Amino acid sequence: MPDSAGEFIDPERRLWVPWTRRKFLGAAGLTAAGLAAGPLLEACGGGGSSQSSSSPSSTKVPQPRSGASIRLLQWVHFVPAADTEFIRQCEEFGSKYGVKVAVERITADQLQTKTAAAVEASSGPDIIQMQYGWPHLYTSQCEDVTNEVNILTQKLGAVAQVNDSFSKVDGVYRAVPFTVVPNAWTYRTDYFQKAGLNAWPKTWDAFADAAGKLKAAGLPPISQSVGHAYGDSLTMWNPVLWSHGGKEVNSDGKSAAINSKETRAAIKWAQGAVKAGLVVHPEWLDPDNNQAYHADRISATLNGASIYLREKNEFHHFDKVTDNGVVPAGPKGLFTMNLIFNHAVMKYSPEKETAKALLLYLMDKDNYLKYTKIAGGYNAGPFAAFENDPVFFGPDADPKMKSFQQVVKPGKWPGWPAPPSKQTAQAQTQYIVADMFGKSLQNNGAGDAESAVKEAESRLKAIFERPA
Amino acid sequence: MGTIADRVATPGAGRIRSRLAAREARLGYLLLLPTVAVLVVFLAWPFLFGLWLSLTSAELQDPGRFIGLANYKFEFTVDRPFLQAFTNTFLYTGVTTVFKLGLGMVMALLLNQVFPLQRFVRAALLLPWIIPTVLSTLAWKWMFDPTFSVVNWLGVHLHLITYPGPNWFGNTGSALVALMIVNVWRGMPFYGISFLAGLQTIPTDLYEAARVDGASRWQQFIYITVPKLRPVLLVVLLLSTILTFADFQVPFILTNGAPFNSTHVLATWAYQWGVPGGAIGLGAAVSVVLFPLLAVLVAGTLLLLRRPE
Repeated sequence: MPDSAGEFIDPERRLWVPWTRRKFLGAAGLTAAGLAAGPLLEACGGGGSSQSSSSPSSTKVPQPRSGASIRLLQWVHFVPAADTEFIRQCEEFGSKYGVKVAVERITADQLQTKTAAAVEASSGPDIIQMQYGWPHLYTSQCEDVTNEVNILTQKLGAVAQVNDSFSKVDGVYRAVPFTVVPNAWTYRTDYFQKAGLNAWPKTWDAFADAAGKLKAAGLPPISQSVGHAYGDSLTMWNPVLWSHGGKEVNSDGKSAAINSKETRAAIKWAQGAVKAGLVVHPEWLDPDNNQAYHADRISATLNGASIYLREKNEFHHFDKVTDNGVVPAGPKGLFTMNLIFNHAVMKYSPEKETAKALLLYLMDKDNYLKYTKIAGGYNAGPFAAFENDPVFFGPDADPKMKSFQQVVKPGKWPGWPAPPSKQTAQAQTQYIVADMFGKSLQNNGAGDAESAVKEAESRLKAIFERPA
Repeated sequence: MGTIADRVATPGAGRIRSRLAAREARLGYLLLLPTVAVLVVFLAWPFLFGLWLSLTSAELQDPGRFIGLANYKFEFTVDRPFLQAFTNTFLYTGVTTVFKLGLGMVMALLLNQVFPLQRFVRAALLLPWIIPTVLSTLAWKWMFDPTFSVVNWLGVHLHLITYPGPNWFGNTGSALVALMIVNVWRGMPFYGISFLAGLQTIPTDLYEAARVDGASRWQQFIYITVPKLRPVLLVVLLLSTILTFADFQVPFILTNGAPFNSTHVLATWAYQWGVPGGAIGLGAAVSVVLFPLLAVLVAGTLLLLRRPE
């Protein structure tokens, strides 16, 4: 039990948190250190016009060590130019501070395997890109970066809710918020017009109606993965569940809640949509819907902006007849889910200070805006200061990209409304929600929904109600 | 000058011989040491460590505590995908072994004939086994791809199936069949080449004598080929069964459990718990659950090998 002497309000989570003597002393120390941090903040691109100073404590800016070597592990970006810019910024940091920075890139589906190996071996990259709730899985190897996040919130404002929930474990930041990869619908305007549809549907019912009209007109279908795709499947079926009022687990994060009439309502909608004309693919992984769209096999699919951006920048086959739309809303409102990446400094790293300094450099506002500009809106910033990113709102912004910006705020995380945890991460990696929908949608939407719900409940209980 | 035999026969030669033998035995054990060390470090220790982990609540970066058989109880009573993976593993191993055995034998018998470009054909048929599994499995993944399947394209153009053809990885049954096809394709050359080596050791005069006695081709096969191939056949079966039970690459790359966990095998399910899920104790329990059965299988095969024909 903490030696409680009072309580304070955690400004990020609006929860009452015990205020301990240790926390008080820590905050006081950080405040003192922060008085000297001004010039260093400036060096990190901060200084001057701070728009927010609501951070709970002051900060100490990490100093890069000249001669240090840093390895950073991350995914291969779906927009290749974004990787080039990211590496350029790392090299720029390296030459400025005499640090050797190596950026290792592997496909996203391999990233977790390599991360788990590094965590278990206590050896590997100094910085690892953490997807979704990994900081909750690998907490013990993720360095406390609360100080660095506080530096960033002073400069850039509050952290986006989902990045915050994923990065913060028991009140301690275990990763520096890095980015959101918004997921919206990309669709063929020519096919929609041929089917008598003049706009992207705003509700799931209108969406099912649109799928039916495309089918009736003999046009390529709206298609989506219902399989084990780490992005496209999760970003589709979790929002469908939430927007009908369903959830995997109660907000206590301890008891399965999938077996509900709301879940059945979500499945009933999905079965109706499939019967109308939505085509779901249990075998599709993340690249499959991209390929199908570029090959003119489908009319619409839910994805990051890469399909549209590659059409616009590389292929030029359907860019003129492609637009993007926000995820439709259900009876309980608009819910979305996006890919979330944050950077963890690993505890085993001998160059933690340099690694932290590099992350601050990459999150410097000017640097970050260069990155999102080159990524063309595939990424959105995880701090309040990036909400008006010119890539979405500037004079040269592509109006077709606006939908990707609009899906960021309604975003939730797998397991919501329970806070992210080891268990929510396990349920996510086992694709329990996607499998439940997948089973129910077999045989053209005539699968056994009852058995699918019960199986999902049993699997969730196995995770959330398993004795420690 | 006496002969070697003379020298050996002299008094004291026995003592020298026994000293030499003892020295040779020591040298033998010494030469064995590196192999034993490798086996202990890379086989025995990881296996025993895995066994220990399966009895603990270990998670990534947390050694956990001893929980007895709780992980096994959880798997068999609560974890439904485990039961599916358990069944799939037996089905996958059983069906593919039968096909690899049959097709491998046919391949060996054909390759044992004399025909033009014999060596080239022998080498070419080994290709599936030589190509790295990941690469060949990725190629198969494309061939079964629902959008761009060359298998379906061929089937449709040969009027064998109607457009668009089966969604191989989209249905529970066909996804498992697709896994089996790839495994058989990859594993068959191992059987074929091993059987071919065995066939070439069978003396041809046995067949000639059988032909003189009026034995049919089938009788020659049953009464000469099969008994003479028995040792090779048992060893190949044993190795292949163990490798197929533990197959990870093909199921992981082709389906990773999709659709709806219907194609998980024990290896991929162990990975699912242990690596993405971080529950190392559970993952270890899933991976060693087959050990008792495989131990019996190995012991049985070794006994059969010892038995005279």
